[in-house]
Formats: sequence, C-alpha cells, structure tokens
Amino acid sequence: MARADVPTIDSASAPYWEAAREGRLMIASCGACSKVHHYPRPFCPHCWSEDVHPVEATGSGTLYTYSIVYVNDLAPFKDRLPYVAAIVALDEGPRLMTTIEGADPGDLQVGMPVTAAFRPVDGDDPDSPYLTVFTPIKEHA
Amino acid sequence: MSRVAIVGVGQTRYSRESGRSEWQLAVEAISNALTDCGIDPGDVDGLVRYSYDNVDEAMIVRSFGLKLRYYSQTGFGGLGAPATLAHAYAAVASGQARVVVCYRSLNGRSTTRYGRAERSLGTGGGDLIATGDRAPSGAFAGPYGMLSPGQVMAMWARRYQWEAGLTEDELAAAMGRIAVDQRAYARANPDAVMGGRPLDQAGYLAGRVIATPLRIFDLALETDGAAALVVTDAAVGPRPAVWIRSAIQGLIPYAESIATYGELRNGPTYRSLGSRLLQDADVKPADLVSASIYDATSVSVLLGLEGYGIYPVNGAARAVIEHGIGPESPLPVNTSGGHLSEAYVHGMNLVIEAVRQVRGESMNQIPRSGPVLVASGPSGLVLAP
Ligand SMILES: [Zn+2]
Repeated sequence: MARADVPTIDSASAPYWEAAREGRLMIASCGACSKVHHYPRPFCPHCWSEDVHPVEATGSGTLYTYSIVYVNDLAPFKDRLPYVAAIVALDEGPRLMTTIEGADPGDLQVGMPVTAAFRPVDGDDPDSPYLTVFTPIKEHA
Repeated sequence: MSRVAIVGVGQTRYSRESGRSEWQLAVEAISNALTDCGIDPGDVDGLVRYSYDNVDEAMIVRSFGLKLRYYSQTGFGGLGAPATLAHAYAAVASGQARVVVCYRSLNGRSTTRYGRAERSLGTGGGDLIATGDRAPSGAFAGPYGMLSPGQVMAMWARRYQWEAGLTEDELAAAMGRIAVDQRAYARANPDAVMGGRPLDQAGYLAGRVIATPLRIFDLALETDGAAALVVTDAAVGPRPAVWIRSAIQGLIPYAESIATYGELRNGPTYRSLGSRLLQDADVKPADLVSASIYDATSVSVLLGLEGYGIYPVNGAARAVIEHGIGPESPLPVNTSGGHLSEAYVHGMNLVIEAVRQVRGESMNQIPRSGPVLVASGPSGLVLAP
C-alpha cells in the first residue's frame, strides 16, 4: 500500500536528505550574496547565482505555526491521528515544514523555542530517508 | 475608462453528484449565460477557462459551433478565479474579441474530490508523494502530513491568531461568525447546497475538528457544478449591465501553491495589490456595497478583508466578532452563502453572486447601489452598476 509520507529526492535536495540521515540540518547558502534559503534549489532565490551550497544550520528556531490534524485517511497518517503538523522559523531565517515531537500537543505555543531532531520516515526500512523534526527546548523552571 | 461589462451569467444545479459529465455541465452553464443576455453563440468570439478545467476550449467550440478570435487560460485554480474576467476585460478592451465567455466546470465531489490530498499528490513510483516544493503535498510538506489545502490553511489560521493577538476562543468566534453568517445567506438561496441546514455559533463550535483551529464548517464544500459569464463592450440584453471597473491578476512568491514560506494573505504585498485594485477603480474600501471573498476556508475571508483594506491588519477578526459579515454589517461578504454554504465552483459562483448584487438580483440583495469587490488572494475585480 502506497504511503503518503515518503519524499521524492532529487539532485538539488539530495544533500539535505543525506545530511538528515547523519543528524544534521542543512540549509542552502549562496556564495555570491551569502544569503541563506530553504528548501534547496539549483539557484539562489535572492540573486539567482548557481553558486549555492549546503551549510549546516544550528537546528534551533521557534514554532511559527502548527495544527493538530484529526482527519486524514491516507497511510500512514490515518494510524497516527491526531498528529502535529508544524512550521518552524529557523534562527538563520528560513522557515520549514515539520512536526513537533516530544510535547503534549496541548502545550504547543506559537513562538516557543524548538530544536531539531532526526528520525526515519519508515522505521522498518533501513534505507528510509530521515525527517527533520523538532522538539521543544525545555526552559528551566 | 474602457467600457466592458458582464452581461450574462449562467450556472447548473449545484449538487454532490451531478450524474453528468463536466462537459455537459459546462455546456449547460454557458448556454444559460448566453440566454441570460440574449446573445447568440454565433456572436461569441472569445473563451477564457481555468487551466485546471477538464473541459477544453475545443470541446466548447465544437459544442456551440464557435468561431473564436481569442482564447486564454488562468492558472492556479481559485487564485485565478476573478482573473478569468480580467482576461475577458483585456481582450474586449483591446479589441481582440467582442464577446467573451468565461467558464468553470467541475465534478468536484463525485469525481475529483477537491478537498482531498490525492488531487495534488503525484503517483509516480507507486508512492503518493509529490516531488518538489509545493505545499501541500511537496517533498518538504507531505512527509509531515501537510497534504491537503485545509491542512495548510489551518497553519495560516493559527499564525493569524498569534499575529492578531487573539485567544483561541476569539479566533473561533470570528471564523464561526463567518460560517454562521454565510449559512444564513444560504438559507435564502434556493441554489445553495446547504440551504436547508441552519447553523448557529453553538452548532459551529460543536462541529468536528478537522485540523486545529479549523472545524468542518470552516472548510469549503465539495460540489459538482458549472458556472459561466459573458463579457462584452456594451449593455446588451434585458439585465442591467455590470461594468468591470478594475481587475488584477497578481502572482507573488509562494502564492500559487498555498505554501507557508511567504506572506500571509494579509501581508504587505497582498495589501499593495489590493489597494491598487481599488485605486484603479477609483473606489475606497468604505464605498464598497458588498464583496465576494474567496473562502476555501473561513480564515481566508479574514485575511482577504485585511488584504483588500476593508479592515486594518490584524483587525478583521475583532470587527467580524462585533459586526459579522451579514446584511447589516459594514461590508456584507459572500451573500450567496459562498463556498462554505452555497457551492464550491472554484470561485466562479462567487463572481456570479457579485454580478447579481450589482444588478440588484441577489437572493440576499443589499439595498444600496455601488461597487462590489471580488477577491481571491492576489486576484480581484471591482464591479459597478
Ligand atoms: Zn545569492
């Protein structure tokens, strides 16, 4: 049965996905204008230079927005309802779509600090791509 | 100012299962629109359709025996809904065509369910996930379960709540008021699919949560149906002419997919496009008598009210909680019931309702004469008597 969560990886995005397997979050940086962007693409969206290369992000950011999804009948999401879909704004600037793990969905707050973690899309597949997910940074009491 | 008018409107019955092909539906809607203005198909020389439409120009040309001088398409679905009229406006104003028909036909419930993910997911390699940068469903969105428009617009709604400094209850009060007021309009509209089902705020709040903060009543219907409009350079036929005063077909980064990398739809670029549209029509927000604002979800109406300058940024929710969007509100919106309660004909039924308001023929007629706004993200029209 087809899964709706397996990304299609192309040459521009391969470094991002390969780094995720190694526990690193890559964004793209431009050698011409030194601005960063995400998602990876073959040229800089700010100056159109093709001198773009992956750079490691700190993995820290804030929760830009999120939704707790209660309805989805596509595999594998139908077996994990409700799940959290989220967007994180990285400290470096770019936003990325993700999920938040390690938190009660009821405790999520827009603006809360989060940090990246990595896990396989399909835990049963040794060749599975790895996803960048985020977890809240516990603030000391 | 060029004199270009919408002179005819036509539609099919709106339903959850038409039992007919999209081609048949398109032909019926176009035929009704031509009858509405008394124009013979032999006089039609232009067609505008959505690139998404399965009924192509040749099928319509064959069906009516048209001899075209002009045809064009608008992209990106609902984003281009008012822009079909913008194309017709430009073609007629420039003399490339004299009578242009704009249409949209879809079996959006019985064939391709428009609220579902499969519409945008790829099918290559046996996996459903799409490639590339789209959201919903792209390689950077799909793995996280962002697969349908509603799931992405839930993100907009939550972000808007935060930017506007609203509590969750306040956001629900505002979105609920939109759903309830549009349902009340639908009650008076015999064409409305949900006309027989009353809705109040308690009923809204009791609705099934689909993706927080959106409930079932925040989401557009899925509908089978077609709608068509006829545009020409003079007041023709028995109905009052509806003049196109201005039109805009905007496209800015990340507007075309509904991805979350760019601005919310009340952001500065959207506001600048909205203000340009009104300025080109020599209209101020306070002059508008009613509006059709593209409501894929209820939050789109809040963002549209701000994007087109009706309310200040982050001010629409509180204004809607206080005044609603009903007949007595400062700006009545989606007076046919809109996509939430009349039908989802991908924006075209909203354009038709705007025409009816200008003509004085709406089932929920606002008893003032003046300009009417049609808005869908960065695309819009100002229509006037
Ligand atoms: Zn650059």
